[in-house]
Amino acid sequence: MSREAYHKALKKLEDEVLFMGEMVSNAIRKSVESLQKRDIAASREIVKNDLLINKKRFDIEEKCISLIATQQPMAVDLRELTSILSIVTDLERMGDHAEGIAKINMLIGEGPLVKPLIDIPRMAEIGLSMLNTCLKAFVNRDTETARRICNEDDQVDALHDQIYRELLVMMMENPRIIHMATYLTWVSHNLERIADRVTNIAERVVYMVTGKMEEINVSKY
Amino acid sequence: MAKEHIIVPEPIVNIIDLSLYYGKVQALKSIALDISKKKITSFIGPSGCGKSTLIRCLNRMNDLVESVTIEGCIKIDNQDIYSPTIDVTELRRRVGMVFQKPNPFPKTIYENVIYGPRLTGIRKKGILDDICEKALKKGALWDEVKDRLHTSALDLSGGQQQRICIARAIAMEPEVILLDEPCSALDPIATAKIEDMLCDLKKDYTVIIVTHNMQQAARISDYTGFFMLGKLVEFNITTEIFTNPREKQTEDYITGRFG
Amino acid sequence: MKKFLRSGNPYIWLTAGTLTACLLMISGLVVLIMINGFGIFWPHKIVQFTLQDGTVLLGEIAKREPIPHQKDAYRTKVKVGNRDVYGMDFRWIDDAEVVSQTYPVHALAFERREWGNLYGFLQGLRQGDGVKPLEKEAMASLLRESHALYKKIRNIEKKDIGNINYRMEKIRLELKHLTLLQLSEKTRKRAAALNARMAHLEKIYREKEDTLARFYEKAREKEVVVLLADGREKMVPVFQIIRTSMPNEMGAFAKVRFYVAKSWEFIWGEPREANTEGGVFPAIFGTVMMVLIMSIAVVPLGVLTAVYLKEYAGDSFISRLVRISVSNLAGVPSIVFGIFGLGFFIYFFGGGIDKLFFSESLPSPTYGTGGILWAALTLSLLTVPVVVVATEEGLSSVPKALREGSYALGATKIETLWKVVIPQATPGILTGTILAMARAAGEVAPLMITGVVKLAPSLPIDSHFPYIHLERKFMHLGFHIYDVGFQSPNVEAAIPMVYTTTLVLLFTVLTLNLTAIIVRNKLKKWYSTRAM
Repeated sequence: MSREAYHKALKKLEDEVLFMGEMVSNAIRKSVESLQKRDIAASREIVKNDLLINKKRFDIEEKCISLIATQQPMAVDLRELTSILSIVTDLERMGDHAEGIAKINMLIGEGPLVKPLIDIPRMAEIGLSMLNTCLKAFVNRDTETARRICNEDDQVDALHDQIYRELLVMMMENPRIIHMATYLTWVSHNLERIADRVTNIAERVVYMVTGKMEEINVSKY
Repeated sequence: MAKEHIIVPEPIVNIIDLSLYYGKVQALKSIALDISKKKITSFIGPSGCGKSTLIRCLNRMNDLVESVTIEGCIKIDNQDIYSPTIDVTELRRRVGMVFQKPNPFPKTIYENVIYGPRLTGIRKKGILDDICEKALKKGALWDEVKDRLHTSALDLSGGQQQRICIARAIAMEPEVILLDEPCSALDPIATAKIEDMLCDLKKDYTVIIVTHNMQQAARISDYTGFFMLGKLVEFNITTEIFTNPREKQTEDYITGRFG
Repeated sequence: MKKFLRSGNPYIWLTAGTLTACLLMISGLVVLIMINGFGIFWPHKIVQFTLQDGTVLLGEIAKREPIPHQKDAYRTKVKVGNRDVYGMDFRWIDDAEVVSQTYPVHALAFERREWGNLYGFLQGLRQGDGVKPLEKEAMASLLRESHALYKKIRNIEKKDIGNINYRMEKIRLELKHLTLLQLSEKTRKRAAALNARMAHLEKIYREKEDTLARFYEKAREKEVVVLLADGREKMVPVFQIIRTSMPNEMGAFAKVRFYVAKSWEFIWGEPREANTEGGVFPAIFGTVMMVLIMSIAVVPLGVLTAVYLKEYAGDSFISRLVRISVSNLAGVPSIVFGIFGLGFFIYFFGGGIDKLFFSESLPSPTYGTGGILWAALTLSLLTVPVVVVATEEGLSSVPKALREGSYALGATKIETLWKVVIPQATPGILTGTILAMARAAGEVAPLMITGVVKLAPSLPIDSHFPYIHLERKFMHLGFHIYDVGFQSPNVEAAIPMVYTTTLVLLFTVLTLNLTAIIVRNKLKKWYSTRAM
């Protein structure tokens, strides 16, 4: 492989990471939508598609390893490859969280929800925008944006707090809904974890560009 | 009996159960492998493992060494190159070779490149000029030397000299190009240039390269053979060799746990 | 002390000291040759000695030295010249004998074609019976006249009569050849024609001889009257005088002019007086030509031998034996080569050629006697080991990688040799040639029996077809030195010539070597930029 081909391969790998990010963000959006719409079939679809995400992750990892093994990447290239390795792990976990939400939806079943969803879609919205911005920052090597994203995680944490408290109050008032309400706290928790994973990716972006490992915004959870 | 190795697509060179002796010392032990057309195949292994000896069998450079005996058979294009009917000079025109140390002749750049074609009897200046330009372009050297074709090749840098040697081999339009540690005397930048050039050459030629530098083999080759003590230990797709070697010996060598 | 030894300094001093000793000896030799060689043509003052017994002597001081076993006593060697009058050129005078020593302004040194220098005072010119006084300017024009006459005579003697002789000789040979053939109408006709031409030539020859006689007559007409130191008068034909000088009244500029003129004559002139005077041009020419012929012979011989030995012979016992023998050839005394040359080249080859192609002139040999070709070939045998060894070195210095590069491009062994190896080895080969040339230029012994002569009648190159006459005998600077220094009738007068000739030989070798070095560098460049 010539150096040119190698640099092309690196670029292609980046595109594949973006594509995987797209897959994951689709999964997250759809999982919350299907929860809202009570669409069990869509959730099933999400669970099935998670296998593709996992496969994609292995695929990217393998390519990374083969590039590391044969092309002796150095400095920024090496950081990029190791970062990609870590990013795809995070993305894959995020896909799992989306899958988790889809499974909760399946557990909840056909019935209505204990309360209308207001904050959970907002959390998902913020998380998704964080993910998209973060992937953009990854492509553009934009550390400033990456750092800013980490601060947005605080909003997600706050929403999670709020949802938890709300549901707790509802459960105390009406113990019969504890079962269903707990499901919703899990959904909220999954979304909170997703945002956390985005901050992990942002940290990787910063590392990839600056070469410094730093914890940017310590999550409350 | 030789070990079974992977089957490569479109083999152009078949090495069949090849053994070679220097006097009584056996240097190659029942080597069997096929080399794929228009791919880069690299041979790696510790010093004295026979990889250079093997590559020198492919254009019969070993004929120049006294007391060499060869058993087995090498076929290029299904033609046994050790058959008595073969013309060695003709074979060497089909199988070009580049050596470890850049060895341009003490002539001009132009004369170096057209040395081979001239030997084949081409005399017309126009044709020779074309050959020279084409070879130098393929050798990724044209832009650097086009204004001084008629100055001595010895005035060039080591990397350029080695590329002249490669261009010189290309000028013969060979089917196979053998490279015997072509970068071992060069600095990393010159090495990178030659590696890039080899990757381009693969479009038209079958390239076989012997290298001490296994990273180099990893970087540029499609197939890699690992040799030890005159035996072909493993022959596989390069990525496989470097990420998941099948043999313990290969793994020990490429991870530096050798010996 | 131990530390001092271990530091290596003593060894550095030892090596440096050895080098210095060598340099001193060599430069001493060169300086000695230069001083004596360059000094000879500088005009010396003419001294007039009056001795206690009343003798008056006129001459140049040649040497001054202390008398052995006497304190503070010196003696002087004076070149008194006038060999035809006194019978000897030199006289020793003890300081004690000298009454007075003066430098008469009008003392004249006459350089003559025969009998060496004459010292004296100009009295006048005798033409017919009367004696007229002679001015310096008139003397100069007289000399010019006589030189022109001399040139004419030489022209007739050398060129015209030489040409006629040459043609007559050819006709004679052809006639002889005809008599060897069977008689027929054709041969008879031819013989008649030849005889007619012969007669014609003889007529011209006689005419020329008459002219010559007339010229000689004219030459004897004028004589200069010279008053010698002892009061006697001496008649010197103007024709005999080459040059007159009055060193005692010469200024620096005149001295330099005299010096340059003499040096010029030395290099471009022909020898006189059994080589003790005049020039050495034929010897320079012979040396250079012999060396060139030798190089032309030795280079292919040596190079081809070395190529076979190195490239094809392998490393068997026999090839090693040959190699050692070649190296040891250098240790064979050169006179042995001379004898071999005499036996093999001259008697065997030359005799054979004579029998085949020059049978008409037998028994007088053409090639069957010493000549420049045989001398050159003999010397090329002598120097061939140098070229072989140097070429072998040159061939081994060609990197294996270059040969392999050539083989890998489909070149055969002979193509590789011609296009890559030999061009690369050329500097080595030429270095060998340079060494061989230096060796050959300085070698005398083998030449003495293969063709060198004291005085060659003609150069090996002239205007007669085929222009280069390889069978001719020739003169050689080395032999000239030996001849002048040890075989000359007038050794004492010749000693300065020995030095000067040596100097010329040194310069000739130097020039040959420099030329070869320039050629080598040119070739190196040529090979690296040209197609081969």
